Amino acid sequence: MRTGCFLITLSMVLSIAIFAQTERALAQDSGTSDAASLKEIQREMRQMRAEHKRDRALIEHLESQVNELETRDTKTQTATEQLHNTDQKLQATTLQLEQTTAQVKTLQAKVDAPIPPGDFSEAFNRYLGSHSFTITGAAAGQFVYDQQSGAIDGLHHASQNTFMFDWEPMVLYRPTDWILFEGVFSAAFGNTGTGTDLSTADFQIFLNKYMTLVAGLYDQPFGDWYEAQSPMWVNRFITAPLPFGNEAVVPPGEIGLQLRGGMQWGKLGQDFDYTVWGGNGPNFSSPVLGAALGGPSSVASSQTNGKSIGARLRIYPLPIEAEMGRLELGASTYNGKWMNGNWFNSWGVDFNYFKDSFQARGEWLESYRQMPSGMAADHRQGWYLQLGYMLNNVNVPQVPNLVNDYLHRLQPLVRYSGVNQRGVATDDIAGATGVGLGGTQVGLVPDFGISGSPALYAPHAREVALALDYWIAPSIVWQNEFDIELPEAGGLLVSPTGAETPVGSVPNDHAFLTQFTIGF
Amino acid sequence: MRKKLAIVLLLAMTYASFGGIAQAEAPMTPAEHRKLFREGAELWPIYCNQCHNARPGSEKAPYEWDQIMMHMRTLGNFPPEDAQAILEYLKAGR
Repeated sequence: MRTGCFLITLSMVLSIAIFAQTERALAQDSGTSDAASLKEIQREMRQMRAEHKRDRALIEHLESQVNELETRDTKTQTATEQLHNTDQKLQATTLQLEQTTAQVKTLQAKVDAPIPPGDFSEAFNRYLGSHSFTITGAAAGQFVYDQQSGAIDGLHHASQNTFMFDWEPMVLYRPTDWILFEGVFSAAFGNTGTGTDLSTADFQIFLNKYMTLVAGLYDQPFGDWYEAQSPMWVNRFITAPLPFGNEAVVPPGEIGLQLRGGMQWGKLGQDFDYTVWGGNGPNFSSPVLGAALGGPSSVASSQTNGKSIGARLRIYPLPIEAEMGRLELGASTYNGKWMNGNWFNSWGVDFNYFKDSFQARGEWLESYRQMPSGMAADHRQGWYLQLGYMLNNVNVPQVPNLVNDYLHRLQPLVRYSGVNQRGVATDDIAGATGVGLGGTQVGLVPDFGISGSPALYAPHAREVALALDYWIAPSIVWQNEFDIELPEAGGLLVSPTGAETPVGSVPNDHAFLTQFTIGF
Repeated sequence: MRKKLAIVLLLAMTYASFGGIAQAEAPMTPAEHRKLFREGAELWPIYCNQCHNARPGSEKAPYEWDQIMMHMRTLGNFPPEDAQAILEYLKAGR
């Protein structure tokens, strides 16, 4: 547009200049031919008009071109803006793509990486549900060879070779994190037939950190043996020490309630714990002197008004940081009435010490049973001391490694135990295992965990037990035990009617037992 | 009178005890887990071996150790903090 205006102005200036030139020419050459001049002027004017016309056409052409250029410029600007916008969108899309790629890479890495155990555990627990149960326990096969050289006065004796099997599953059921149910069932095939038994069945309610309520049928919390050492894969020997065997000094179990707990009183490892309990109380196979203590499922104890109370305290004086080993010192008492009105009182002390490969444990326990009709008290004592050493650190020089590997799995042990009691009831000897075979002296044949030796029933029984355990795994063991029975003279044999006969001497005896045990 | 007092005391103890149960514990941080694991590794061979051979954590699933450690806490009268440390160690053994 500006170019067009400029051209119009230029042509007008030229016209005026030409016109002025023409006036001057007319004035100078007035003397020459006016007609020729006029023609010349007219021709020039025509020429100028023609030029003016061409210029106008040119101007118009240029104007149209300018317009066209302006239009194009506008379009170009629009296109540029659109291009800019598209570029911005593309940049945003590229950024998103980069972010998405990074996320995909992260996800891929997570998918490819192994699942952390904690995450898997949580997921698996969710899958299993909040109520869960598990089965542990033990199973064992056993062989007993008992070379009985003689018997207690007038009672049966014989050599015995017997295979047996026992399965004791423990079911744990956990409905919440503060309630647990525990049940142990025993099914055995012994020399006198098969037998089943409910060993424990109780609820454990965790009231708070330091107080647990146990309700039901449980092992007697007296001393260490019944609760902690009686499971087959835990007991380093095949048999029980004499005070916890067939002539027990305190009842093996109870139906009732316990309150128990433990706490740290000093440095790490310096603990204290307590157990107090009450239950149906003790019962005996008969009211005569020397009668055996009954089990907790006996009707005789639950149907009397005489209940029991017990308490047990333990202390662990050695801190772990001292590296002096672990020492446990315990004291127990159990008291109750049998046959409604007669007291049974017992107490005991125990210890357990281990350091590295060495372990020692022992217990002393004593009981007084008030007898009816003014008879003297039935007084019993029992004890055992057990020592063991695991050969896992013993290396014999100049011996192949394979031999040393076998050696490392061996644990030799020795145990001395004994019972003193005024008398034993002949009925208990006859019916000690009592599976079938009524009327036969079934107590004097091996059964699971006892050799069946007559010497075990001597009023003053003594036993030295030697053992060699071969540990295949922490809970799988092949056990071998050689029992040397060394009963002392004295005491009474008591008939079912109460007639008492001095026992006199009891022959020594020995037995070999071997057992393969799996704790699961 | 003494009997009534004993019953009231017993009820109060029971109430306090159950109140303790109802309080949910705050989840542990990774650092607390590591501290508990180290303590459990120290206690595991001592506490377990005093009665039986210590069994490795790899033998059982973590949910089974939850139950077994409840059983062992009762039987062994373990201090609760120590039982928790041993449980942490055993479960990590998987």
